[in-house]
Formats: sequence, C-alpha cells, structure tokens
Amino acid sequence: MSITFLADPTVRRPPPGTPDLMLFESGLGHHAFLPDGSRIYDLDAATAAALADSVRTGGDALRAALLPFATGHGPFIDDTALEPPPLRSLSLNVAQTCNLACTYCYASGGDFGAPAATMPWHVAERAVHMLVDGAQPGERVHLAFLGGEPLIGRDLIRRTVLLAREHGAARGIHTTFSITTNATLVTDDDVAFFAAYGFAVTVSIDGVGETNDALRPFKRGGGSYARIIDRVAPLLARQRDISVSARVTVTPRNLDLVDTLRGLLDAGFTSVGFSPMLSSPTGTDQLAAGDLELVLEQMVACGRMFEEAVIAGRPCGFANEADALLQIHRGVHRPYPCGAGAGYLSVSASGDLAACHRFVEDPTGHMGDLEHGPDQTRRATFLDERHVHRQEPCSSCWARYLCGGGCHHEVINRGRPACDYIRGWLQHCLGAYVRIMTRQPSYFSNPTP
Amino acid sequence: MPEPVIVPRNLTARAAYRVPGNPATSRPDDAVGNCFPGLELDVRNLDRRFFPGLVFDFVARDDIYAAYDQPQRYGARLSFVDVTNDPDLGLPGTLAGNLSDQLQGDVGTALSTGEWYIDWIEQDGHRLAMSSTDGHGVQQPLDGLYVWRIVRGLEPLRRGKVDTTEHPVTDHTVTLGLRCRSAGRETDAVTVVGWRRRFTDADTGVISLAYQPGELLQSLCSPWQHDFRDCGCHYWAANHPDVVTGELLPGEPTLPDDASADPMLANTPLDWLRADRSREMAGAMGGNVTINRPFQFDHYQINHAWQQLDVVVEGREIGHSYAPPDSVPGAPYDTREELITVVRDQLVGTELTLALEYLYARSSIVDPATVDIAAHPTLADDALFVRHYLLLTATSEMLHVRFANQVLWELTELGEPKGPPFIPVLTPSPTVPAPNRGGGRRPAELRPLTFAALDDFILIEHPSAALDHSWGRVVATLERHSYPAHLVQMAERVARDGNDHYSRFKEIQSVLRSTYGDTDPQPWLRPLRPATPLEAADALAQFHVILDRLRDAYDRQSQGHYAASGPNVLAARTAMDQLLASSEALAAQGLGVPYWTTG
Repeated sequence: MSITFLADPTVRRPPPGTPDLMLFESGLGHHAFLPDGSRIYDLDAATAAALADSVRTGGDALRAALLPFATGHGPFIDDTALEPPPLRSLSLNVAQTCNLACTYCYASGGDFGAPAATMPWHVAERAVHMLVDGAQPGERVHLAFLGGEPLIGRDLIRRTVLLAREHGAARGIHTTFSITTNATLVTDDDVAFFAAYGFAVTVSIDGVGETNDALRPFKRGGGSYARIIDRVAPLLARQRDISVSARVTVTPRNLDLVDTLRGLLDAGFTSVGFSPMLSSPTGTDQLAAGDLELVLEQMVACGRMFEEAVIAGRPCGFANEADALLQIHRGVHRPYPCGAGAGYLSVSASGDLAACHRFVEDPTGHMGDLEHGPDQTRRATFLDERHVHRQEPCSSCWARYLCGGGCHHEVINRGRPACDYIRGWLQHCLGAYVRIMTRQPSYFSNPTP
Repeated sequence: MPEPVIVPRNLTARAAYRVPGNPATSRPDDAVGNCFPGLELDVRNLDRRFFPGLVFDFVARDDIYAAYDQPQRYGARLSFVDVTNDPDLGLPGTLAGNLSDQLQGDVGTALSTGEWYIDWIEQDGHRLAMSSTDGHGVQQPLDGLYVWRIVRGLEPLRRGKVDTTEHPVTDHTVTLGLRCRSAGRETDAVTVVGWRRRFTDADTGVISLAYQPGELLQSLCSPWQHDFRDCGCHYWAANHPDVVTGELLPGEPTLPDDASADPMLANTPLDWLRADRSREMAGAMGGNVTINRPFQFDHYQINHAWQQLDVVVEGREIGHSYAPPDSVPGAPYDTREELITVVRDQLVGTELTLALEYLYARSSIVDPATVDIAAHPTLADDALFVRHYLLLTATSEMLHVRFANQVLWELTELGEPKGPPFIPVLTPSPTVPAPNRGGGRRPAELRPLTFAALDDFILIEHPSAALDHSWGRVVATLERHSYPAHLVQMAERVARDGNDHYSRFKEIQSVLRSTYGDTDPQPWLRPLRPATPLEAADALAQFHVILDRLRDAYDRQSQGHYAASGPNVLAARTAMDQLLASSEALAAQGLGVPYWTTG
C-alpha cells in the first residue's frame, strides 16, 4: 500500500493563531493547538473557521467554544521559576582535548578555548560522591562522559563508573551512564565495557564519506569517516545491550539530510538525530537564516520518510521526529528547554560546575565548584532569568512551552535566529502526530526507537 | 449555529477535558441497580493509604472462622513507603514537614528493609495495641480485618489545622508505632507522627490524588468474566445490571426519548444474564435470584459468550450502536418574561394537579390483600402493579414541581430587568391540557381510574401533547439564551419524563383491557367518592403541612440556603408518608381525599 501525502501548505506560512492558540491542518482535518498544557483538539470545519475568524477579529468565539475544555485550574505554567532541584544528572568533561578538529566545535577543538586538560581522579571521585550522596534510596542518577573526546580519558571513565556503581549500590541508588564520542578511539574492550554497564552511546558523525570528512577531519589531517565506520561496527553489533545513536551536526556544508539519514540508517545506526549548528565559537560553519529554510525542508522530507515507515508498521530511526511525536502525544509543556542549571550540571576537568557542558569555561554559566558544591544562588538566578516567560519574543509565541525558549547557550551567544525554523518544524510534527495517531495509533503505545 | 465539534486529541487535552458528568437532575435511583450492593470501588483500598507516606496491606485470614494459624502474617503490613507521590506530604506546615522529613530520613531508611507492621495506634490520647492476649497469656497480633476496622474508626485531621504550628491532640493527630517482624529484628521499632488522610476533598469531593489510577478498584471482580456471573460479596462491581429492558431493533417505532413505542417492550423487565437471548423467549424476569437462576448464563457460558451481554444505556440493552435521543423539540418563547409567566401560571400548577389526580386515582384501586382471587386470579398482582405505577408517576410529577420552582427562582435572579421577587408556586391549576376537549383544556378532576380517566392521562402525557410541548419550548428558550446548563437539564428531564409516564399509562391500559375488557363493574376499582373536609380532616391537615413545608423549603433554597431547608424537606416527606397512609385508610371506607373543591 502506498501513502500519498497531502500537501502540508501551512508549514512555510505562519499559521493563524494567537499566543494562546494555533490553528493547523493535518491533511485529515482541522486542529487547534493550545500552548497551555500543549493540548491538541480536532475541530470541525465550521468551528475551525469560526476560531480563525475570532483570531482575526479578536472576538469571543474562541473562549466560548473552548469553555468546556478549560482545565478547572489556572494555567499549566505560571511565572514561578523552578527552585534548584536535587541534582539528577552530571556530565564529566573527562578530557578537554580531542583528536579531531571539527570546524565548528563548540568546545573549540575540545579545550573550550582554554589549555587542554584531562580530568584528575580526585575531581571525578568528588563528582560521583556529590551526585550519589545527594539522591535518596531508590532514586536514579545519571553520569554522562563528554569532552573533547572523552575516550582520551578512558581509564578515568572506567574507574568512575565502577565507583559510581559500587557507591550507588551501597546507598540503594540506581546509576546509569552515557557517553558522547567521535568513535575513532573505540576499542572492542570499550564495547564490552559499555555493554556491561548499559551505556547509551552517542556517536558524532556528520554525514556519509566525504561529507563527514570535510567537517570532521583528524587534527593530524585526513577524514574520519572510514575510521568511525570501522570502530563503530562492533558497537552497532551489540545494540541489544548498548543504545547507540548517531548525532549529526547540521552546517551549511551537509544540508542533504535525507541522504545522510538514509546513509547512516544503511550503515547500521537505528537512531539518527540532527542538531543545527546555530552558534559556533568562530562563526565558522554556523547556519544563516537562508540555510535554515533548507534545513526545514530537509527535516520535513526526513519526517515524511519516517511517517511512511511508521504507518506501514516499520521502524524508522529518525530521532528528532520520534522524540517530538512522543512529547506532543504526552503534551509535554515546560518553561525551560532542558535541565541545564536545574537537575543537570556539567563538571569541567578542573572541577568547576557549569549549567551544562556548553557552558564549561564560560563565566555566564558558572554554577560553583565541586569543593564548595553547587552555587544555589547562581542556580536560582539562572533558573529565574531563563524562565521562558522572561524571554522575548517567546511570550508571544505559540511554541514557547514545546521549545522552552531555545538552547540557553545559543540564545545567550547568538540570540534567536531559528524561531521560524523551530515553529515550522513543530508545525510539521503536530500534523504528523495527528496523521500517525489516526492511521497507526498503536505507534504511541510502543514507539520506536 | 450547530454545536461545535471539538475533540481532545493528545493526552493532556484528554486529561484536561471537564467531563460533563451526570445532569443536575440525577438521583440515586438513576444509578445502575442490581440486587447486590454494587461497588464503584473497594473502600478497603482507601484505608491502605490512611496514613500519608505509608501504604499498608491488611493481612487477614480467609474469613473470620478460619484457623488462626499464621499470627505473624496477620495485621497491617507496611507494603511500601511512598514519599514522592503523596500530595499530603507536600502540605504546608510543620506536621506535614516533619512527617516528610521523618520518612525521608532515618525512619524511612529503617522502613525500607524488613517486614514492618503497625504495633499500636494513638489518637486523641488513646493508644490501641494491634495485638491481644490469647488463651495462654501470649500476646498475638490482631487479624488484619480487625486492624482495618480500628483504622476505619480514626478521625481525619481537623480541617485547616495542618498548616498551623500547634497540634494539640484534639486536632486528631495520629501516632503510629511500627515494629519489624523480620527474624532477628523483632526489637526494631519506629514511631511516626502524622494524621488520618482526608480521602476526598471537602469542597469538591474529588478523591485524593495519592491514589493511583486503578488502585481503588484493584480487588473488584473483573467485568464480563467468570466471577462476574454471581459474585455477591464485597467484590461485586456496580457495572453489573440485573434488570433491563430489551434492545430495540432497527426501524421499530420509538417515543421521542428513544424508548420503544410498544409499552410491553418498553416496560417488560428482562434478566440481563438470561441465557436465551431471543426476543421470543424474553419473558419478564422473576422476582428473585432463585427463580431466575436456572435461566441465566452459567459460568462456562459467560466465559464463552460474554460478548452477547449487551451494554445497557438508560436501562435499555444496546445491541447495535447507541445515539443519544434528539433534543426536545419546541420553538422558544420570545422573552424571559413570557417564559416566567408560562412556567409560573401554567406549568407548575399543572404538574401539581396531575400529581394529585394520579394519587386520587390510586386510592380507587382495590387493596391487593383483600381481592377475590377465586374470581380474578391475577387481580392482586395487577392491582399492585397499577398502584405502583400511579405512585411512581405522581412522585415524578412532584419532582417536576420542584424543578419548575427552581427554574422560576433562578430565572428571577438572572438577567435584567429584574421582575417581581420569587414566590414559591404550590397551587394546583384548575384546568389542565386536554387535546380531545373543546378549547384544548379540561377542568381538574379527582376521579377513580376508569378507562375514561386513563384515556385522559394517556392523552396529557402523550409525547406530542400540549404539556410536553410546552416543556420543549422551555428547553429551547433556556438553551437559546445560554442559561446555566442545570436549568436546561431540569427542563429536559421534565419533558422526557412525560414519555415514561405515557408509556406506563399505556401499559396499564393494555394490561387492564386485555385481562378484564369491559367487565362491569370494573374489578380493579373500589367504590370511591370525595370525602367531605370533615371526613378527611387528618389527610387534609397533612396535605397542608406538605404544601407549607415545601413552600418554606423552596423559599430558603431560592436564597441559597440549602442546608437550612433540610428540616422542611424532611417534614414534608414525613407528611407525604402520613398522607399516603391516611388516604389508604379513607379509601378503605370508600372515601377519597378532596384535595380541592370545584364550583
């Protein structure tokens, strides 16, 4: 059976809406998205027209029609900032140095613009204690290993994992682990270790063959693709024990996302995600406004591949859409884009704490240090200032609780150049959600990947 | 403009939807009924979380006669500590704060391993041990069922005191002593101070969010499965109907409320569990379980043929698809004033007149206990049936009097310009609609239930008759001007009840005609003439108590004083019972209560 997709004409055009309502079409009908609680409603044509009209004229039809759907309490999200919660997740920048020289790297080649450093044991040890001791028995904490290239600090990673598991078990705390690596240094022994400790492994790779090589060369010269594929093979062979995903950073030089998605799925990855490069330290290879339109077109094309597969009952590892659909289904609504500064902090090689891994060595996101513990005042201030209600132009945007205001680091460094892209993408995902929910509702009881 | 169609799609949208719930006119007798006290939930599950942060299981013997042979298992066993999901622990104030600290600190750590049981409970200065001394002078744990009963006797924390800093014992603070029964840890004991949870919100009645979805039903029997057949104990789920009316087949004539136009089909009670599902075999069910049991599905049958058991909506089996009945037809009145005038000057009085006409007619039916069974073998049953239907219908009309008064008092308050203030209307109308008479009305008349009287009753309750039509217009007017939903629901209920009344009177007519034809004298009647006021002094006094008390109650309710109206309503109900008894005593002497005089 083949699926014919109806045109998605609204994707490129701002939809009718107010900050509290967005009307969209799915090809199957008319729908309303209410940011308050990220709620989706199906509408008949007359109601959709009446609502569109009330949006234009500022009329009252909206309130009257949606009255039975009021929640019976105030808005889902108010102006109150999150109070700094207990830490649930730490990333350790175990090696602030790298063997690759990616053109756009937010860590400026791994060292974050500071002298290259590897994390000493006492820093990792203290970080584990801070995380595990701050949790209650029965709770779950997460350690992420980042860099630079974290596998340069392989011995430290292993020692840290053993300590966390042992100390966690003693206190009845479940520990989980992840690593983001360029995969060029992965050994068979690493694979066995990742499997034994149930790692989630994210492999940075920017395309197939030369596309990747142009963006991700070795420092000593030469492309990294062949080496990545060689080293990643044993990892991909153990995806039952290790969750492996490919992370593609999108720059103006690898805009053929459909090709990349197909290539990496063919290479054996079961999950592929794209991250647009909006702010690189040097400005090199970051996307301009015109590029983002192309990215959106490509993302939507990938989305159609995904949708076709899912409706036919086949898995498709397009992670961006899979994640977005699940969040839309659950009606995820949040005043922050991520857990940075909240349940998540990042530890630099020297033991400083940052709001997240991108704020390492950046005074804006400094959150104390391991010796004195997290700086609660700075965390509270950060969470207060970063609340989406304090962001502009977010307060007038229907997507504010799905997007959360955008990556703090990118916004602080480059502003918000990608809002149209984000809204376009979310609008596509909302339509896709309705179509998949209608044609293959079982997807949402057992989503992939 | 047609009703907007708006359907919640994703999970938050579905969760936020405010379910309309039952209409304001719902009454206890509208619930799913079955011959066992059906349960919406197993109340024991409420008590599992009686103490915030702790979840217990009440471990008991199979029944109270079983051997007391595993004492170490019995009692209130701590199932788990639930600190993260319990909303009560997040309440403001030191009591909740301290309990939360305790459970997240050393106490919680101690409780996280081992088998813990409640050792004693203390409230308001009284401490009860969860053990008793056996015949050999040995302390033995109480059976879980006994512990549960003690827990059920605890007072919830006095409202509004959780957030104060002082907690004298009179606030019903609860102290629990817990003791470990794991081998080698028998001396481990902890004490926690908290309170008996309020299971429902005092303002909204919403069940505490501490209970997870499904938790309150977890011990009820599973619908449509083996034990659903005849389980009759604590576990009988309320969604098991006993008595239903049969499915309507496509194309069969219906009344406007979608009940069958055939009164026999509309009113024959069927056994929902009957094994032979064919309509030909669908005789009326018997009056008790023993009679019906041989004709019902057996256990193996319900396992195999559960899908033949129909869903039941509004008491009727739905075999195909269900669509709610169309809204009540009628053109709206032009103005609020016209609406008020029609309800006040015509509709309320008509409802009251009809209630009294039906009551009077009921007095004319022979006493089932004294009929000549030899001459008429079914007369006792028939008389019982006719009396019952007349009383049901009269009661229904009195309910309409109440609804009509509320419509009036709310209309008086809503909108401008303000009219004269609300005055309760409890005066019978001197005439009632009669499509078969000149001018479309007839005088109010206290009559025995002759065929002629029955014809009049059928005509006035006919779905297309003037009375029903007027209420349809009330509904339309209320809907058009967006009056509160409950007023529309009340008017709709009155309009739809007319169909029930019509169907009942048609069935009475069908039974009497088919059994007795034009026999003269009509054997179901006894001689009856209106008593003089002196003869009926007691009954009339009771009748006036009813009117006076209802007038007072409506007056108070119209000012929002519902609780204060309670004693009046109770007094009116008592007087109604008394009136029924006195009118029966008068009828035995051939006298009917003269509710009004004409002339």
